[in-house]
Order: sequence, then C-alpha cells, then structure tokens
Amino acid sequence: MLQKELPVELSVIIPVGDRHADARALFADYEEGLDKLAMRYEVIFVLDGPQADFAAGLQPLARERRNMTILTLTRSFGEATALMAAFEQASGELVLTLPAYFQIRGSEIPKLVDALQSADVAVARRWPRAGGHLEQLRRDAFHGFIAWITGLRFRDLGCGARALRRRVLEEISLYGDQHRFLALLADRQGFRVKEVDVAQSALDRFTGHYRTREYAHRVLDIFTVFFLVRFTKKPLRFFGMVGVTTFGIGALLLLYLVIDRLGFGHGLADRPALLLSSLLVVLGLQLFALGLLGELIIFTHAKSIKDYQVKDVIQFTRAQRAGNPENEAVTP
Amino acid sequence: MNDRPKLSVIVPFFNEEESIRPLYVAIVNAVEPLGVSFEMVFVDDGSSDATVRIATELAAADPRVRVVEFRRNYGQTPAMAAGIEHASGEILITMDGDLQNDPTDIRLFLDKMAEGYDIVVGWRFNRQDKLVSRKIPSRIANRLIGKVTGVPINDNGCSLKAYRASLIKEIPLYSEMHRFIPAMASIAGPRIAEIKVKHHARQFGKSKYGLSRIYKVLLDLLVIKTVASFTSRPLIWFVLLSLPMVAVGTATLGWSLYVMIADHQNLPLPVAGTGLIFLSSALILVSGGAFGELVYKTSDMREHHFARLTARLERWHSSDT
Repeated sequence: MLQKELPVELSVIIPVGDRHADARALFADYEEGLDKLAMRYEVIFVLDGPQADFAAGLQPLARERRNMTILTLTRSFGEATALMAAFEQASGELVLTLPAYFQIRGSEIPKLVDALQSADVAVARRWPRAGGHLEQLRRDAFHGFIAWITGLRFRDLGCGARALRRRVLEEISLYGDQHRFLALLADRQGFRVKEVDVAQSALDRFTGHYRTREYAHRVLDIFTVFFLVRFTKKPLRFFGMVGVTTFGIGALLLLYLVIDRLGFGHGLADRPALLLSSLLVVLGLQLFALGLLGELIIFTHAKSIKDYQVKDVIQFTRAQRAGNPENEAVTP
Repeated sequence: MNDRPKLSVIVPFFNEEESIRPLYVAIVNAVEPLGVSFEMVFVDDGSSDATVRIATELAAADPRVRVVEFRRNYGQTPAMAAGIEHASGEILITMDGDLQNDPTDIRLFLDKMAEGYDIVVGWRFNRQDKLVSRKIPSRIANRLIGKVTGVPINDNGCSLKAYRASLIKEIPLYSEMHRFIPAMASIAGPRIAEIKVKHHARQFGKSKYGLSRIYKVLLDLLVIKTVASFTSRPLIWFVLLSLPMVAVGTATLGWSLYVMIADHQNLPLPVAGTGLIFLSSALILVSGGAFGELVYKTSDMREHHFARLTARLERWHSSDT
C-alpha cells in the first residue's frame, strides 16, 4: 500500500474473473461516478487468476494513479475469495465492490454509497432491467426460491455492485462463489441490508453462451444457501425431518406388508417391496444418526459458534462519567 | 469493575419499554436490603421500541447496570446465553423482563444456593396465564421433559432460576434450550433444587415467547437427551443403536440361508437382501459412532470436562461452610 497523509475513506474492490470488460473503458465509467463522491478513495483490482488481457490494459491506468492497487492471485479461487483477499489490503472505512464488467452505470455509484448512511450493506438492483420475459421469469424463480428458503427477499443477487461498512467484511467470511449471498449472510449476522435501485449499464447484456452451465450453477447456489441457512446451526432439525419422513414411509409400507401376510396370506418372503420398505427404514435411521452426529459437532463447538451478535455493551463507570459506551469485541 | 459482585441479575428484554423501569426499581428494592454486592445485566434482544434508550439511561444513572445490546432479535436462548456470558457475579439469577417474576423472590434463591445447591429453579406455583393455551401444554411438556431428561422439574419454562456462575458458564446453550438449561446442565451432575415463586399476570405488552413450536421443543429435547447421554461415549451409544439392526439383520439373513440349505430351495432374495441391508446399516452406524468419538476427541471438551465442574464445586462448598 502507498503511504498517504490522509486516510482513505472508501476502498473500491473490483474482482476480475473470466468475464470482464476492457479495463480502460470500464474504469473510465466507474471513475466518473467515484469522482462525484467527494471522498478519498482507493481502487483495488484483484485478478482472480492471471487475466492477461485485463492486466495489460490495467497497467497504464495504475501507473497514472497513486490510489490504485493491483492484486494478482496465482490461480482462480472464485470471486468471493478474491474479494476477501482484496479486503485484507483495503484501508477504507467503507468498501465498495464493483463488477469487472458493465452491470451498472458508473454515474450511479454515489447512490449506493449514500445508502450506507442508513444501512450497513447496500446492494444494487439493476432497474429498469433490459432482457426478455423468459430471463425475467428465470430471475424471479431463482430469487423466489431463495426467498422461500431464507425468508429474505432480494431481487438482484447477481449484481456485483455492493457498498458495505468495513465491519461487515470483518465478521463474515466468504469463500468460493458465496459473494452472491453476501447480502443474505450479512442480514443473518444482524446487519441492516438495503436494496438500492440503480440504472443498468447500456452495455450489460446477457450473452446466452453458457446457458445450461449457468442453470446448474444457480441450482448449486440454492443448495449452498439452503445449507448455510438451514443446516449449519440445527442439523437435527433438517436431517431429523428427512429421516423421520423416510423412516415413516418405510415403516408404513412394512406394516402393510405384514398385515397382508398375516391377514390375507400373501407371501412376504418373495416380495421385492420388502426390500424397498426395509431400505427406507434403514435409510431414515441413518439420516437421523447423521443429524445426531452433526448435533454433536455443534454441541462440542457451541462455545466458539455464537448464535448471536452483540452490537454494544453499555456500562458507565462508577465515577458516572457520561463517556462513550465501551465497545466490546464480539468474537474472542 | 475490578471487584467481582456476589450476584448478577440477568434480564432479557424484547420490546418491554413499559416494564424495564419498574423492574429495575423492583430489583434494586428487593436486593439492596439483602446486603450483597450485585449487578444487573440487561440484554436487549433487538427491541424496536424505546427499551434500549431507557436501559441506557438506567445504566448512566446506576453503574451496577450493564446493557448488552443485540444487533437484531435472536430469541430468548441467545439472550440468556449473552447475559450469562457478560455477567461477572458468582451467582447468576435469570428472570423475565415482563414483570411476571417477582424480584422479592431473589432472597429465597440466595438462601437455597447458600445451602449448597448449584441450580435453583423457580416453580410458578400459582401461574397467571391462560389455562388452555399456556398452562396445559406446558404441564405436559414439563412432565415429558422430566421423564426424558431425568431431571424432574415442575416448571422448566420459568425464567426465574439461579445458577452458580462457574457451572453455567461452561454449559453450551444454543438453539431454543433456555427451557432446558437445568436438563442441559445435568450433564455435569449438579445439585438442583426447586422452590415456589410468585407469578404475576402480565401488566404491559403482549406475551412474546409461546410454547408454539412443539416439534422444535421435542427435537431439542431429543438432542439434549442424546448429547447428555453420549457426550463422552458416542461409540457405545451408536453401538447400542445398531444392536436391534444386527438382530433383525442376522435373523432374516439366517432364516433365508436356512430355507435355502434345509429345504433345498432357491435363496429367498428379498429376505436375504433385507438382512444384508440391516447388517450393513448397523455397520455404518457403528462407523458413525467411531466418527462421533473422533469429533469429541478433537473438540475442546475433554472427557471429564463436565464431571470436573461439579467436582470443583464440592470442594468449594466444604471450604466455604
């Protein structure tokens, strides 16, 4: 980091993955918005894997400016990991992440940062949005699904433009592709999250190249959220439910077979349904046992996994100085 | 604070702006005459009303008040856990923030604790709540909890309880276990006493926590039961669980083999398959138990972790009296 006289107020982090626009055009657009902010800012580009063409375009830009850092990861670790790596270099009290390709208009950046006055996290929602009805439907289905699982309604998790306070990233650890769920995870940690409508960039167009892969990724994303939200704290609730259901179906089937054998004299030994029912019973028990093991893990680590986040501990000294409330670190 | 108070009164609040000030006054009036040093830990469970502001005012006026402010609403168990964590007294008393518990009962708890008990539980003998929606479900639940956990307490739901800090601070509290704190603590084998306490009808606001989600309570109960019984020996527990499976599996497989050999018939495949399924499942369960053993060994809890808690207390008593 360059040593500056005045502290940086805003750190702009731009993770650069495989999908990226031309560095010069992109940054010119962002810089226009950033300059309107009247804040001292720094820009950190993280190259998630050696993105040679982007890096080539970036070098001259970095040379012209004192407030630009380029961090290169040796291989691609995923956007969230790149974000966290860049965050270690960031010194601003506020952090702004921007995508490396055109999603929002650079001139909309002040809107996002201003939203932090009443929130800890502000995520952009591109609106009005270009694209066909089918695309809109797909997006709605995805976000509706996420809302159903988590109870949190967001409408544009795919947008990479987010403004947040420093302590949000200090408390949340992200990895892999979890950057999409930053808003969800932040909300779960008790931060105030706000969605801000921003104008979509005219250059943001869905290319439609890797459609199936994209779908597969979204489904996996939903699984990720499901496990992060539902599973990590109460494994038995989840496994127990699935296990008891499976066990119940198997037991009912078995009961039917036994009644059929005793009451109506249909043979039991040569029925494949016997296999199915015992398989279900056993599977249910296994799932349940898995839930118990999960519960054991939680139990033995309950001291280090906190269920809650303390905002402040307020106590005044005996001298009754109406001083500042002491801030206590939440994690040991 | 450098000197440790004898008593900490822990009160979780969730939207109790009317109750907090009267409760503060009641606690001070009840405890001050007892002549013990005390502090109050008010936990704000993400209230959206003026609770935090009033609590902060109280803290500004009285250095014995400590306010722990949550970032959002987390529920009663986390609030209790946070209060316990931030309390510095030797004896911790928890109570509800809605004025339904009576602070004058604190004296009884202190007397009981002085007799050498580790946990003293309040029993809302004359409970002022609706019969059908609150009292009857809670009576059934208490009966069940007592049976399953082996800690027969008449009123698990009563928040007015006293704990020895050295014990309760070591007990993991999570999920919705505030109902089961004595049961949870019973893994350490404490001496538990129950005393009758006064209970007032709600004066302000609405009831925030009901016994609404019974299935969660049941699952939590199951977790406590298993965790408490297998904390130190998951392998044995899982082996016991797998024994019936081994029995069923061996019987069915044996019978199918017997049919094949003795009657010179074809092997009855579904039966043999069932036997194999049960046997392999038993094997997986035992492996699961071994896995649990691994988890337990790598955690920061050692085998006599809980046993030591009460053992230490024993010595403390004999030197104290």
